[in-house]
Amino acid sequence: MRPGGRDGAPDAVVRVVARLLPGPSLMVAAGLIAKGYAEVGDGFAAGVIVALAIAPSYVALGAEGVEAALPVLRHAPAVAVGGLLLALASGFFPLLLGEPPVSHRPAPGEHVVKIGALELFTPLLLDIGVFLLVVGVLTVLLHQFGRPRREGGR
Amino acid sequence: MILAFALAAAFLFGSGAYLLLKRDLIRMVAGIMLISQCAVVTIIAASLGRGRAAIAVAPGDPVSDPLPQALALTALVIGLATVALLLALVHRAVVVFRTAEQDRLAATEAAHEAALERERRADREEVGPAPEEAGPAEEEPADGGRAR
Amino acid sequence: MLLSIALLVPWVSGALLVALDGRRRAVAWLAVVALAANLAVLGVLAAEVSTGGVAQVVTGGWPVGVGIVLRADALGVAFAALSVLVLLAAAAHEAIGGVRSRTFPGLVVLLSAGLTGLFVTADVFSFYVFFELAMTASYALSAYGGKRRQLRAALVFTAVNLLGSFIFLLSVAGAYRVTGALAMDQVAQRLLTVNPNAAVLIAAGFFTAFSVKLGLFPFHFWLPTVYAGARPAVAAILSGAVANIGSYGLLRFGVALFPEQLRLAGVALVVLGAASIVYGGVMAVARGDAAEMLAYSAIGQVGYVLVALGVGGPVGLTAAVLYSAVNSLNKALLFLASGVRGALVAAAFALGALSVAGVPPAAGFVGKLELFRTGVVAGSAALVVLLVVGSALSLVYLFQVYQRRFWRADPQAVGAASPLAQRLLTAALALLVLALGVWPEPLLAFSGHAVEALLAGNSP
Repeated sequence: MRPGGRDGAPDAVVRVVARLLPGPSLMVAAGLIAKGYAEVGDGFAAGVIVALAIAPSYVALGAEGVEAALPVLRHAPAVAVGGLLLALASGFFPLLLGEPPVSHRPAPGEHVVKIGALELFTPLLLDIGVFLLVVGVLTVLLHQFGRPRREGGR
Repeated sequence: MILAFALAAAFLFGSGAYLLLKRDLIRMVAGIMLISQCAVVTIIAASLGRGRAAIAVAPGDPVSDPLPQALALTALVIGLATVALLLALVHRAVVVFRTAEQDRLAATEAAHEAALERERRADREEVGPAPEEAGPAEEEPADGGRAR
Repeated sequence: MLLSIALLVPWVSGALLVALDGRRRAVAWLAVVALAANLAVLGVLAAEVSTGGVAQVVTGGWPVGVGIVLRADALGVAFAALSVLVLLAAAAHEAIGGVRSRTFPGLVVLLSAGLTGLFVTADVFSFYVFFELAMTASYALSAYGGKRRQLRAALVFTAVNLLGSFIFLLSVAGAYRVTGALAMDQVAQRLLTVNPNAAVLIAAGFFTAFSVKLGLFPFHFWLPTVYAGARPAVAAILSGAVANIGSYGLLRFGVALFPEQLRLAGVALVVLGAASIVYGGVMAVARGDAAEMLAYSAIGQVGYVLVALGVGGPVGLTAAVLYSAVNSLNKALLFLASGVRGALVAAAFALGALSVAGVPPAAGFVGKLELFRTGVVAGSAALVVLLVVGSALSLVYLFQVYQRRFWRADPQAVGAASPLAQRLLTAALALLVLALGVWPEPLLAFSGHAVEALLAGNSP
């Protein structure tokens, strides 16, 4: 699996699309998370969409190229672990309040602050955590596949 | 369960089982993916019946049980993680063995039997320096373990 | 509260450790500390539930049936503590010898999170989720070492067990389809009234899934490659901790969810178990390599659990619980000892071998004794003969391994001795096996409580 084909630069169309995709995908992901509690959407779907938008860049530029252009991708493992910890925190924080895990605040029936369709309550943190986890893990995988092979057996 | 879903699940499982019996490792992965999709379709179908809406429910209409949809979503997430991990393993196997054919994989291994014997001995000793000849020992294993 | 902490500790520490470079000594020892903390929490929990009580948490404070139920009873806690103990021993073994991959310590701790969750959940679907968390960690672990042999072992292990997992998922879907419930209590109640054909089909699905994990006779084909190919510490983890999923699953799902189907299949289970015992024993005698022999021995040993389960009743089930506990300690000891060299190790290995064969001072004797009682209660002479033959076979093949490895004349073939700490660890595990054999009352009592807890759901 050699990024960008065997001979020379990858197709110009692929490169342009790869450059254009990640930005808008973040907006779509934010939308999916925001409306996830009333309509279709959640953190996992948002994460997969962003990861899919990052994937063409790995195909077009190879792992090193992408990570030179978007240095934030180098921190994918940290993003994954941070997301997992955030998700765990949103599930287990009620223990500190003496409630069973996965309770949420504000509790059912209480007043919830809304910004448009977005409801601010703790399960939102779970979705953001899952989003980060999925993006992080899939980027790590893309990195593994897109890396030029040094070792290659004997 | 509706007949169409039963047929779809059966077709997915059948195709998956067929691919699974192929020698090529990539096809084997594809087969496992199809079987995982078969499981997801079965879960979804468990709640669907005639006349009950699953999505886009108008007020007052009969609604299908939403729980299996949540289960299917979870199963999809887990399926993604495990299949990604399997794919990473196959990728490493192709890099190390330089073949994706299962029997050639076994043959490659047989050819290195003598070298392996030495390696095996060193393996058991734990403290002795591992022989460097045997592939990427220092490489970290597939990172997909972080999934989930 | 305690139950939630038992989940929280390994999960958070595993997530953190997987991000750190596991080859650093400190990280490996942090993993050992995390596992020890998990084991300590489980120990306190075990003391709480040992008198037949249960610790129960419903997530989100919802009523049962809406929220997911986590319930720790004696059976679950016993298996959880046992598995984490094995993980602890294997992680300490690697930490002493030097970890060779970045992710190993974190993955072991995540595996303990998955296993702990799986043994304390009372919900069929969250069982699947924890099951996959544990399995995903063990797929990645099976490639540990990164050489050709380990890679091939990991491929076989992952492919076969993924299939097993999806069969499990299909069975969960089927169980939900016919009962409309996921909480184990409700599923068990409603299964009594569903179409018996559907129930048998679902039970067979669960049985297949767990048998694949356990490596029972017709589903064992993946096991020798994997156990012999993986590194000793990983083989100890797979056979001592991960295989517990299979025996626990058979006990929990078989006895609590499908008691009727279990009774119907009793004879079939005994026959399959007997086939496992004979096949594993004969193949092990025929093998030259120590790791391969231990792998076949593992196939034979789980056969005993299945035989005891097939006979059923309080005596048979107690024997099944007891024997799975003893067997997982034996396997962990033998696989770890097979990776260590030097003084003390020969004695530790011999003790493990005696335990597998069921010779008095070791814990295996207690397990075998319970099995004999099962055979006598079942009134079957054939069963008793089978047990004797199985034990004799295991004595033969383990003596062969012992002879080849520890009586070797040329010191060159034996190689340098392992670090003293590693040998002491093996010896400590051997002492534990010995102690449980000499003073078996706590283990017996706990198995009894576990079976009471298991049967409690059926009686009303």
